[in-house]
Parts: sequence; structure tokens; C-alpha cells
Amino acid sequence: MVTAGLTPPPVQKPRWRAVALVLLWAAIGAGALLLLAKSVQNSGEFSRLQPWILLLNIVGVIALITLLARKITQLVRDYRAHVPGSRLTARTVAIFGALVVAPLLIVYLFSLQFLNRGIDSWFHVEVKQGLNDALVLSRAALDLRVREYSHHTENLAHSLLSTPAEDVAQRVYDERRATGALEMAVFGAHERLIAASFENPLESMPTRPPPDLLRQVQEHRSYVSLEPQAGGEYLIRTAAPFSDSVARSDTRYLVAIYEVPTQLAALSEAVQHAYSQYGELAALREPLKSGFTLTLTLVLLLAMLAAIYGAIFFAQRLVRPVQDLIEGTRAVGKGDFATRLPLPSRDEMGFLVHSFNDMTKRLRRAREEATRSRQVVERERERLAIILARLSTGVVVVDRELTVSIANQAAGAILGTDLSAARGRALPDLTASNQRLGQFVAALVVRFAAGREEWREQIELEGGAAGRRTLMCACTPQPGADRDVGYVIVFDDITNMLQAQRDAAWGEVARRLAHEIKNPLTPIQLSAERMRKRFLGTMAPQDAEVLERATRTIVQQVEAMQQMVNAFSEYARAPEMHVTRFSLNQLANEVADLYRPHDPRVEIRLDLDERIDSIEADRGRVRQIFNNLVTNALEALDGVDSPCLEIATHLEQGGDARYAVITVCDNGPGILRELLGRVFDPYVTSKPKGTGLGLAIVKKVVEEHGGRIDADNRAEGGARIRVVLPVTDSTRSAPGTRERRGELRREIV
Amino acid sequence: MQSIVASMLRVEPLHLRSMLIAALLGAWAAQACADALDGVLEVRSAYVSVEGGVFLLHARIEYPVNPAIRDALHDGVILSVDLDARIERERRFWFNADVVDLTLRRELEYHAVSDRYLVRDARSGDQKSFATLEEALTDLGTVEGWPVLVEPQLTPGHYRISVRAGVRRGRLPASLRTLMFWTDDWHRVSEWYTWSLPG
Repeated sequence: MVTAGLTPPPVQKPRWRAVALVLLWAAIGAGALLLLAKSVQNSGEFSRLQPWILLLNIVGVIALITLLARKITQLVRDYRAHVPGSRLTARTVAIFGALVVAPLLIVYLFSLQFLNRGIDSWFHVEVKQGLNDALVLSRAALDLRVREYSHHTENLAHSLLSTPAEDVAQRVYDERRATGALEMAVFGAHERLIAASFENPLESMPTRPPPDLLRQVQEHRSYVSLEPQAGGEYLIRTAAPFSDSVARSDTRYLVAIYEVPTQLAALSEAVQHAYSQYGELAALREPLKSGFTLTLTLVLLLAMLAAIYGAIFFAQRLVRPVQDLIEGTRAVGKGDFATRLPLPSRDEMGFLVHSFNDMTKRLRRAREEATRSRQVVERERERLAIILARLSTGVVVVDRELTVSIANQAAGAILGTDLSAARGRALPDLTASNQRLGQFVAALVVRFAAGREEWREQIELEGGAAGRRTLMCACTPQPGADRDVGYVIVFDDITNMLQAQRDAAWGEVARRLAHEIKNPLTPIQLSAERMRKRFLGTMAPQDAEVLERATRTIVQQVEAMQQMVNAFSEYARAPEMHVTRFSLNQLANEVADLYRPHDPRVEIRLDLDERIDSIEADRGRVRQIFNNLVTNALEALDGVDSPCLEIATHLEQGGDARYAVITVCDNGPGILRELLGRVFDPYVTSKPKGTGLGLAIVKKVVEEHGGRIDADNRAEGGARIRVVLPVTDSTRSAPGTRERRGELRREIV
Repeated sequence: MQSIVASMLRVEPLHLRSMLIAALLGAWAAQACADALDGVLEVRSAYVSVEGGVFLLHARIEYPVNPAIRDALHDGVILSVDLDARIERERRFWFNADVVDLTLRRELEYHAVSDRYLVRDARSGDQKSFATLEEALTDLGTVEGWPVLVEPQLTPGHYRISVRAGVRRGRLPASLRTLMFWTDDWHRVSEWYTWSLPG
């Protein structure tokens, strides 16, 4: 039986059982032969062994029937239970049984017929009749002699009546010699011997008369008997009583014994012998037939039972490897490749089992190889997942129905939604609460609907707290798979990169403006002032007034242009930072104090975090940040009732780094919604005055310090600018900051 | 001459084996015997006498006589009339030891030519003829002075002597004897007649 799991190597059944069986059968056969030989040689021994032989046969038949019944019961049970191999066993047994039983039955029936007819043929009626006739003839021939001798004895006995007593012996002697009798004797009453004569001179006493002879002569009757002898001879014993008185007590009798002639005796003995043998055989006729029938039946029964048992035994032996193979195949089907089948023999079945074992071994190796490959793939997938998770680029794998199979964290961050649970769900189902994702999905749908499968385009997403975002999106069918299976969509938020490019472009513009415009302004201003100084006193009052107005306008405009050029120059100035340690809160106080007198209407509040004792930064530039933010807020508060400006500092902990957060809020009109994403771009302003460079410069300074800035509108009204600066200079040189700087540098280049 | 007449002590089955086989064969054997050899077959009496150091067995046996036997004899069948004698020395903790196991074999035959019954000693070949079957059986049933043991064969101990009579079909050809295994209803033995030899 093969079980799941690791199966121990099969152990070959010991051969001693087969050897013991063969020896047992050989011993039984030898014993049977011995019994047969003994019974044939010695009838007495046969009689003694007969019950044992019968017992042995009965035990053998019972044992065979028991074994066969067990085998057949098991076979039927297996057949009904559809045990593997049972049908093949049953078929094999049926075929073997038919092959064995049919010839056995034919031989049995033929033998029965042959023996019965053969035995019957021994006892022809003619033979029997012939023997009877021969017997009658023999009897007739012997009877003739018997009567002759009997008559002669009677005559002699009668003549002895007249013979004197003293002559009786001589008379008997003479008569014996004359008739050739073997013995002749005269007895008186009470078997008293009166006279006797013998052919054999060594004998002195006559043979004692048999009782029936005595009975007859006492009844005055003659006696005669034919007595066969051991050597095939016949004796005729005759007796005749004679008496000269009526008194029975005086009765004498003559006993004479004659020998039948040798030839007649031999012939008669031959007839007797033949008759006896025929009679004995005839008496054996029916017992012989029954004996033959029963013996043949027993032999047939034993042979059939043994043959059927052998057929079942060998069929099961033959089928056992097949059953093992079936069990092994089922085990392999269940995934148990450790199955090892016992090798039955070195024949073709053994080769098949060996091949099966070899196959399972190869399958096991292949499965192990597949497991290793799967583990490698799993590891690769884990690595890929880690890489995807660490990527700042969004990666989404969808099918044509936009059902998500892979979505990394960056994708969710860029699209402003959590895609960790989106696997197996369609992207359109997730767009309900996310406007940006809806626009993204709409862009994908449009392109897929157009039959485009591989594209790389920029997608603009509007709305959301982060404002307008620009994504660089690339789509390609999933490599190595069916084209319907899926698409890999890779996208990156390039808004900041575009912003940096814009910043760099504006810096270049500012530098050129500063360089190209600033130089001619001073000669223009000086020329205008010299022109007014030289010609103002020489000209008519009306003309002088015109000149005065014109030159003043020129000078004012030139100054205005110089201011603008200075602002551009400041924006385009190369970063040269002088980092010192100073108190941020103190700087905030100074700026507030500076601006409080500027417009008394405006209430400037301070909310400073005492935990920020000092900060490592360029103090002048941080002051410029405060100045620009406060100036920007004050300009926004122009015309606002109860204007209020709030400057707050706050310490934030981000991992190992600490950040100082500067928040400047006002209760003005706030930032226009359409400008919210571009408020830090140069020349983006909603105010009638101003260069539009204030917030752009602030952003530039903040980024130079490795910080970040964002702007939004407060729920209660007014704008809020939030600046995050690293507290220590080492934090700015942290990898993240360097990366950001590198990215900025790359964007600028 | 010293003569010792052994009195009969008991009659019992000699071997358990016989009982077992008799039980196994059961009705089959009974049925088989009932057909041909129906009638009384038993040892009526038996004793031993000692003459000159020779133990002589004397027995009276009744053999069955019925028309089937008579017919069979007239058809030529020869009957073997056996008398088994067995002397055992008793042992306390083991099977008894066989000292003597003898069989007196005689044959009874009808001589058709002379119309007489012959009784023949199977070993010596001596034969006697009788006019009637009854006379022949009477002769067969009278065993006088059959020497079965001599004194030197005996060692101190208790001895038991058993006598059993048997009748079976004789002179069966050897090749047919095995075949007659099944249907040989011409074979019957009497119970053992057992008594102890005085020590």
C-alpha cells in the first residue's frame, strides 16, 4: 500500500517462503509415493495405512477447498470493491481455470469411459459360459472317477463280509495294490482299526476319518469325497460300511483313498484356478469401476482445486506489480513522488516497475527543480515588489478592463489615493472619491479605446489639494504574455521637474535682463538729469515745465526699471550661502518689530515655538524669506478690514532630522484657485503692484537651504504659506536633501 | 509341563488412533462393513499357556457367515482370515513398548471343482478341505497352541496381550489394491481382546 508522504524503500519479500512451499509440496508428494509403494507391496500395511491415506486425502481436499474459498472470497470482495487489479486477476483466473479445467475434464471423462468399457470387456458372457462348461466338464470327469472308486469300495466292502477275519488284512492289501489306492483301511466300532494298507511303506497309521465320513457310515451310508490337495493333486476318499448283523454296534467300514490321475488332476486344477480367478475378478468388477471412478474423481478434484488455487495464486502474483503500479500512479497523481515500488523480478514487469521508479525519481527531481524555480521567482517577485515599493515612479499593471494586478505605493501617492487594496478591482470603480484618479483613468480609457497599446505621453491632472499636476505616463503591453493579458503603465509626477525647469529658465531670463537692461539705465538716468540741469534754466517756463516733467518721468521710470532689474538680479543671483547659527524666533521678532510701524492697522501676531533655540542657516536669506512673506501678506491685506497677520514657528521631527516650520498667515482674500499651483512661479501674482518675484525668490532660498514650501488657503479665509527648513546644516547634506539638490541641478541643466 | 491359563482381565480399545479414525470415517466404514461382512466377528475367548518356555495362544473366534460371503466364495473370492496378536510391555511415562506383533494368516476358499471349502495356512501352504462353510469356519475359529512368545523375550514388568481377528478379501492383485481403496467393503476387524500376562 502506497501512502502519501515519504515512503521508505520497499523490502523484497524473503525467498525462504517460496523455498519452504516447494519443499512442503515435495515432501507431500514424496510421502504420497511412499504410501503408494508401501500399500502396493504389503496388503497388511495397506490395510493399516488405509485410514491415514483417506485422512490425508480428505485433509488435502479440505485444505485446498479452504484456501480456495478464502482466495475466491477475497477475489470477489476485491472485485466488488473495484480494487485495482481485481478485474485483471479475475480474468486471468478465469482464463487459466478454463485452460486447466477443460482438458482435465476431457481427460477425466475419457478415462472413465475407457476404464469402464475396458473393465466390462473383461467379463464377456462367452468367457463366463466357457468357464462354467469347463467346470462342469471337470466335475463330470472327476465324478466318473469318484463313482467308479466309490462303487469299487462298496463292492470290496461287501466282499469283506465273506472274508474270514484273519484274511481281511491280506485281502485289503491285495485290493489296495490291485486298485492303486493310496490307502485302504478297515475300521470297526469306535474307529477301531482292523486292517490297513498303505502305498507309502513308511506310513503305519491311516488318516483319521473326517467327521462327516463317520456320520455317514454310522448311518450305513457310503461316503465319498473329492479332496483337493495343496500341490494341485486330488484325493478321492471313499468309505463303505459293511456288517453281517443288523446291530449297528457291529458295523465296520472300509475307507479307501485314491489319487486322481495326474493329468486329470492338473486339468481340473487349471479349470479351478481359472474359475477362481475369473470369479474374483468378476466380483471386483463393480468395486473396480467405483474405485477407478472415485480415484479419478479425487485426482480430478485435487488437480482442479490445485489448478484453480494455483491460477489465483499466480494471477495475484502476476497482478501484484500491476496493483503496485496502479497504487503508485495514484500516489504520483496525488503528488507523492517519493513512491518506490518493490521490484518483482527481472522480467519485463520488473523493467516496467524499474521504469516507473525511475520516472517518479525524475518527477521528484523535476518538482524539486520547479520548487526551487518557484522560490527563485518568488524571491524575484519580492525583490520586484520591494523595488516597486521604493520606486518614486508609479507603476500600475492592468488588463484591458483596467483591473489592477499590480500597483505600487508611488502610484497611489502620485494619484492621491490608496491603491494597496486595489488589486483585483477595476480602476474605474476606485474613482468615485478621487478626482485625479478619475482623470487618469479617463486618459487611459481614451487611449485604449483608440486601440493604442504602446504610448508615452504627458497627462495633465487638475484639481485636488496639490493643484495641477503633470504626469509623464508610458504604457506598454505586458512583455512575454498574451497581449490581452495586461498593460504596464509607468508614470511619474514631473510637476516639480517642470517647475524647476521653469525656475531655471526664469533665472536665465533674469540674469540676461539684469545684464542687458541694467547697463543702459544709468546713462539714461544721468543723461536725463544732465539734460534737465543744463536746459531747465535756459528754457521758457512752459518748455521748462515740459522738460521738468519729461526728465522726472524718465528718471522715475529708470529707477523703476532699476528696481525691477535689481529684483531680477536678486532672483538670478548665484547661491552663495553664509551659514551661521542664530535664533529663528529672535529673527521673527525682529521682522515683526520692523513691520509693525509700517502699517499700524495691521495686527501682527507671533506664535513662536520655544523649543527652537537656534537654526543653522544663512541669516540674511532667512530674513529675506520673512521679509518677502510679510511684505506679500501686507500687500494682500491692503483694503481688508481688521487686517491680521500671524507669524508662527514650530518644531517638527522627521525621522532623525528636526525641521523648523515657519507659517505666515493672513486674513486677506487668499490665493486665487487657478494660481494655487503656480504661486511660486515668477511673475505669477494677483496684485496690481509687485514684480511677481517675491514668492519665487522665497521658494528659491528655501530650496537652497534644503527645505520646502507650499501655499494654500485657510478654511476661515486668507492665505497660508508654510516653510519647512532643516534645523541643522548636516540635515541639509543628508542623502534626501542631496538627492533633491541633485535633482534640481539636473532639472536646471 | 507348566501351564498357566491367563484369565481375561478386560477388553478395551487398544489405540486412540483407531477411535479417531473410526470417528472420522464414521458412517462410511460402518456402511461399507455392513454390506459384505455382516455378522458377528469377535474373539470369544483367548488365553495363553506356557509349555517349555513357549507361550502358546489358544483362542475361540466367531467369524461371520451370511449369504453374501457364501456367494462371494462361490464366485471365486478368497477370504484372508487373520488373527493379530500383540504383546506390549507397559511403561508409566511413555507409550507401551511392542514386544511381539504377530499375525496368523489363513485363507478360506471355495473349491468349485470338488465343491469343498479349503482352509489354507498362508505361510506353510498346508490346507484342509471341508464339505460345508460352517465346518470350515469352525476350523478357522479354533486356534490351538499358536506359539507367540518365548520366555527370554520377557524382562521384568507388566505385559499386556491383545488379540484381534480380521477378515478381508485376499489375493487382490497389487495394482488393483490401491484402486480398491474406496470400495473395499471386504475388510473388517474385531475389537481387540486384551488381557494382562501375569508377571
